[in-house]
Amino acid sequence: MLDQLINGLVVGNLYALTAVGITQIYGVAGVINFAHGSIYMVGAFVGWMAVTWFGLPLLPTLAVVLLASALLGLAVERVAIRPFGGSGRTVLLLSTIAAGLILEQAAQLIWGPETKAFHSPFADVRFRVGGGSIGTLDLLILAVGLSTALVLWLFLKRSRLGWAVRATAQDREAALQMGVDVNQVSRLSFAMAGALAGVSGLLVGLYYHSVYHTMGFSASLKGFTAALLGGLGNIPGAILGAYLLGTAEALGVAWLGSSWRDLIGIALLIGVLLFRPGGLFAAARQLLPEPTAGTFIPIGRPLQIPRWALLAAAAAAVTLPLVVRNGYWLQVLATAWIFGLLAVSLNLITGTAGQISLGHAGFLAMGAYASAILTSRLQVPFLLALLLSPVIAAAIGVLICYPALRLRGQYLAVATIGLGQGIALVALNWPALTRGPLGISNIAPPSLFGYEITSAAGFYWLTLALLIGGIWVAERLSGSYLGRALRAVREDEVAARAYGVGLERYKSIAFGASAFIAAFAGVLLAHSYTYIAPDTFTHALSLQVLTMVVLGGLDSTIGVVAGALALITIPESARFLAEYRFLVYGVLLLLMLRFRPRGLLSAAS
Amino acid sequence: MSVLSVRNLTKRFGGLDAVKSVSLAVGAGETVSIIGPNGAGKTTLFQLITGAERPDGGEVYLEGERIDGLPAHAIAARGIARTFQNGRVYGNLTVLENVLLGAHARLQAEFGRPARPLGGVLGAIREVIAAVARPSRLRRMEAALVEEAREILSLFGDRLLPRLHQPAYSLSYANRRRTELARALALRPKILLLDEPTAGMNPTETEEMTDVIKQLQARGHAILLIEHKLDLVSAVSHRVVALEAGQVLVEGTPEAVWSDPRLVEAYVGRSAGQSRGHAAGDAAAGTPAKASGGAAGKAPGDAAGDVLGEAAVPGALVPLSRRATVH
Amino acid sequence: MSLRGALRARVLLAGVLTIAVVMAGCTSKASTPPGTEGAAGAQTTASQDGVLIGVMGPLTGDSAEYGKIWRRGFDLALEEINAAGGVQGRPLSYVFEDTQTDPKQTPAVAQKFVANEKIVAVIGDFSSPASMAASPIYQRAGLVQLGITNSHPDFTKAGDYIWSNSGSQEDDAPFLATLAVEDLGKKRLAVLHMNTDWGQTSADLFIGKAESLGAEIVLREAYLLTEKDFRPVLTKARDANPDALILISYYNDGALIAQQIDDVGLDVTVVAIGSVYSPQFINLGGEAVEGVYTSTRFHPADPRPEAQEFVRKYRERYGVEPNNFAAVAYDGMKILAAVLNDVGVDRKALRDGLEKAENLQTVMYGTTSFGEDRRLRNPQYLRLVVRNGAFEIWKP
Repeated sequence: MLDQLINGLVVGNLYALTAVGITQIYGVAGVINFAHGSIYMVGAFVGWMAVTWFGLPLLPTLAVVLLASALLGLAVERVAIRPFGGSGRTVLLLSTIAAGLILEQAAQLIWGPETKAFHSPFADVRFRVGGGSIGTLDLLILAVGLSTALVLWLFLKRSRLGWAVRATAQDREAALQMGVDVNQVSRLSFAMAGALAGVSGLLVGLYYHSVYHTMGFSASLKGFTAALLGGLGNIPGAILGAYLLGTAEALGVAWLGSSWRDLIGIALLIGVLLFRPGGLFAAARQLLPEPTAGTFIPIGRPLQIPRWALLAAAAAAVTLPLVVRNGYWLQVLATAWIFGLLAVSLNLITGTAGQISLGHAGFLAMGAYASAILTSRLQVPFLLALLLSPVIAAAIGVLICYPALRLRGQYLAVATIGLGQGIALVALNWPALTRGPLGISNIAPPSLFGYEITSAAGFYWLTLALLIGGIWVAERLSGSYLGRALRAVREDEVAARAYGVGLERYKSIAFGASAFIAAFAGVLLAHSYTYIAPDTFTHALSLQVLTMVVLGGLDSTIGVVAGALALITIPESARFLAEYRFLVYGVLLLLMLRFRPRGLLSAAS
Repeated sequence: MSVLSVRNLTKRFGGLDAVKSVSLAVGAGETVSIIGPNGAGKTTLFQLITGAERPDGGEVYLEGERIDGLPAHAIAARGIARTFQNGRVYGNLTVLENVLLGAHARLQAEFGRPARPLGGVLGAIREVIAAVARPSRLRRMEAALVEEAREILSLFGDRLLPRLHQPAYSLSYANRRRTELARALALRPKILLLDEPTAGMNPTETEEMTDVIKQLQARGHAILLIEHKLDLVSAVSHRVVALEAGQVLVEGTPEAVWSDPRLVEAYVGRSAGQSRGHAAGDAAAGTPAKASGGAAGKAPGDAAGDVLGEAAVPGALVPLSRRATVH
Repeated sequence: MSLRGALRARVLLAGVLTIAVVMAGCTSKASTPPGTEGAAGAQTTASQDGVLIGVMGPLTGDSAEYGKIWRRGFDLALEEINAAGGVQGRPLSYVFEDTQTDPKQTPAVAQKFVANEKIVAVIGDFSSPASMAASPIYQRAGLVQLGITNSHPDFTKAGDYIWSNSGSQEDDAPFLATLAVEDLGKKRLAVLHMNTDWGQTSADLFIGKAESLGAEIVLREAYLLTEKDFRPVLTKARDANPDALILISYYNDGALIAQQIDDVGLDVTVVAIGSVYSPQFINLGGEAVEGVYTSTRFHPADPRPEAQEFVRKYRERYGVEPNNFAAVAYDGMKILAAVLNDVGVDRKALRDGLEKAENLQTVMYGTTSFGEDRRLRNPQYLRLVVRNGAFEIWKP
């Protein structure tokens, strides 16, 4: 037991570095910075280059990394934070996600996808502790973590500049009127956060003797959890939270098994968000300081597309296979229709109801698994599975999401990340139901009334039919008083509540309807791939659908379908761009948020 | 039985007593105004009554039924409509949609029953099905509501009716506040809670709004009003409740309240002689100590003018109160 | 909303939809598949009388390095095949479609290949999920899919057009058990495996064989693909008192685990499955992986003449030693060419030919044929140990 505790502290040590950086930037900018992980990663690579290519000793390496990451922090601030000054915190969430994505993809393109060995030329002396040992690197990391936390804390609490920083965080307008150069402060905060992130990355890279371009994502998720545990903005709290997380994980591994590790982290994340959003050390249930008036959804209304255009497009789509025989393009378009369904479903939550959901892959997974299990294990005919799976997915979806619906804005968004990952992890760790990592293979192709749909054209028509059905349902919902109520929730939760629109009820309706429609996409996916596994439903997929929704226009059903069509077909015809695909998504997301937040097909800009 | 009855309502924030044992009642067709300096607890009181905040003590009754502790949306469904200090309309929605949303609770009651069992799940499913299926019952109700919305908006003459399908963000400030009021009326409230309905409006707009309020009174609405413009208060109120530091300082008819020495002391200072300096100082600082508005000559306000008269510069009231309440 | 703005947007919408439709229409007439990779060594255009193989695999993305190695294997094989007259006198070439080994992309590529009449067989994909997502399409269309790195036990079960010259977990894992229990004499085994389909099945098969040889499994732990911190699980392993640590890992995590073993005070022999056999394992693991045992079906120092021949030619052509992935690619291409040469350039004939083929000459299996499960018989294994920063062949 003691050894496992020590193990927990050792890894908690590593989490602490990232946690302090994340909590600090939240404290000063009120933003959960999703680009943090990417700066962390780039810092690690810069350090790796310094040591491996140039043979620099420890201190100069640290200095180089500090400088480079601070600059990167400044860049992120300039590109993803400053332009969105008045737009509210939820859009910053998306813009920092986009920035992070761009950095990560750029790193992959620059340094290649393989993991790089990072052998530290610095001596590592080991000390026996309990049955195991710790080394000088552990102590160095501890020292760095504690000293940066201390320095930051002192800076913020005791120095004039630190006060300016805190004042800006509390009330930007007031600080401005007091003569604080808020832009300067913002730059400083992000530079500091960036520097800290980069150094964390360097040290962790040294610790695990390797650097690779995806090392930021899980580090930041752990960092968020630790920071949340300690209370966002609370620097000493972040360190304690990190040790707590590390220890919980170590004990969890000892007790349940290594594969459960991440689920423990996610459970803690969601638990904290629900029950102690102010952190474990805060007094009771604090209200989250989230802006309560609708500040995310930008001005503008989705374009009204004339009926004739819609009917013409539908007619063209339906008759296409009669003209085009190419199985390849029919398959691509069928995939576009499936993503169209996903986009329509996400649009209900994000466009109409205004809630950012970053775990949509989870709904897709539920629909896919439900149908796969029903048809493969329980021998249920396809048509019945097609009708049952959405019901199952909606029921489970609402059940899982309901507790989190009390959260608002960026907290809800972080919770949805956790939920999306969580669903995939449950699928991974529940072999009795899902066959775990083996996945479910040999799923039967779709069949209607005994007739198997196996041709490309047949499958195309099936997906198109379901897409049209999904659009119809979404439009009916959207145009009804229910849609109106959802928009009220989006625009102004306070007013909505005051006029009888129960927030949890209508958010649940949005999530439930969304899960229902997304499940159809899941069914189609399962029966066309004939093989699904937990890693089919990745976080990247959630981001992909989100980009389609932002591109096509929030709250525009047809717009998001166009977005899906564009993002699926254009890369197919430009396959040389494949390597840059996610880089393009990141850039696209950022540009859309900045210049056309209403989507491509909007009227006002 | 009063429409709204508040007993010993208390709310603490940290160490501060925002509202301390406040009691008041609004009878059928009555208009009660709440006045007091900024920070007196007026808006907090509204928050407590409407369920936006939970009281730490006391009770709230609506037509004899206890409602404190219920969630805000449930209280709204029972018939309390409120407007907000700085006006909260749904920016991206049209005027019509804003007003229709006032009637949401009625639609939900009709198509989203039951509300209770299984946490309202069955009701929610019924709502979704109704929204998708659009039975004729729903379409008829919507059509009726649209008619009702037009009728409500006609209260404002041709200010809003021509702008029915314009998004609320494109409206002028005054029009937004009117829309907000229309939305409140669409709820068919048993009582209207109006939080500074004329804040930020110029004299003409204020006068129009005053007329509207009088029309609502004529229709028999019970109104609880927070206002700084004391001439408006005098013009429409049956009773006035003055709050200070979370407690009821004075209560009664406007005449009685204006001449109550406690009020004078609270707002103006020790003696009338100092009052000019104080009033000027207070005016500069933006406190609504210029009850001098009464001197502007509207009927019930004369008494106020007697008390505070020579300290007041009638014309100075309006721009000052606007400054005090600008956001 | 300005009239101009509305008009502009309408045009944009119409444009997007039109582009999609037009693209679909245009490419339906294409006889040569678009998007071919032009890179050193790959012949990308099929001449009128040439024979074309379709290849789907990762050229970009996380597994891009494997796609590159495949190409080298293919190109070397093609050189020899075409120098010897090609297939039935016609030059052989391949077209490589990038799928990033993503199961969401492989079905579309499969459709493309199926529709291209010039393609007579397909090699790919790299990972099992990606391959298996495409298999139904190949099976229905009657186009042979040869998986060269698909060890998932269900892979070839998708139908009689699905074949593989890759080792199966059903062989790899039991051999490892023999190595650990019989050759190294270990009796108390702590098994750590990656929580993926490959990891699970391999672990199951390993344990089955090990127990049948009389060993005891004192610990079995699955870890997440993304795991970095193995201290807790290694502490658990240490407390179970094993005399060997069995790793069912890739080289990344294998190296990490090896580095952390010492930190928890665990000091036992480490036996890892063949996927750690990669220079990256030593590169990442450094000192910590000295003394790790593993197995492989291909090693450059393999004394068998066919292996030596292949290594020599590869070294001459590329200046580096080949690895497992290059060898399977080379073998895969050669097998297809040999059978096609025998039975003629026809999709169905190829399938039947694979079934009947005897005495196929391969680097990795020697002389072999396909079994009933459509995998090659008699996989050869070599035992390896890491010494002085390199993998050496080890004999018990």
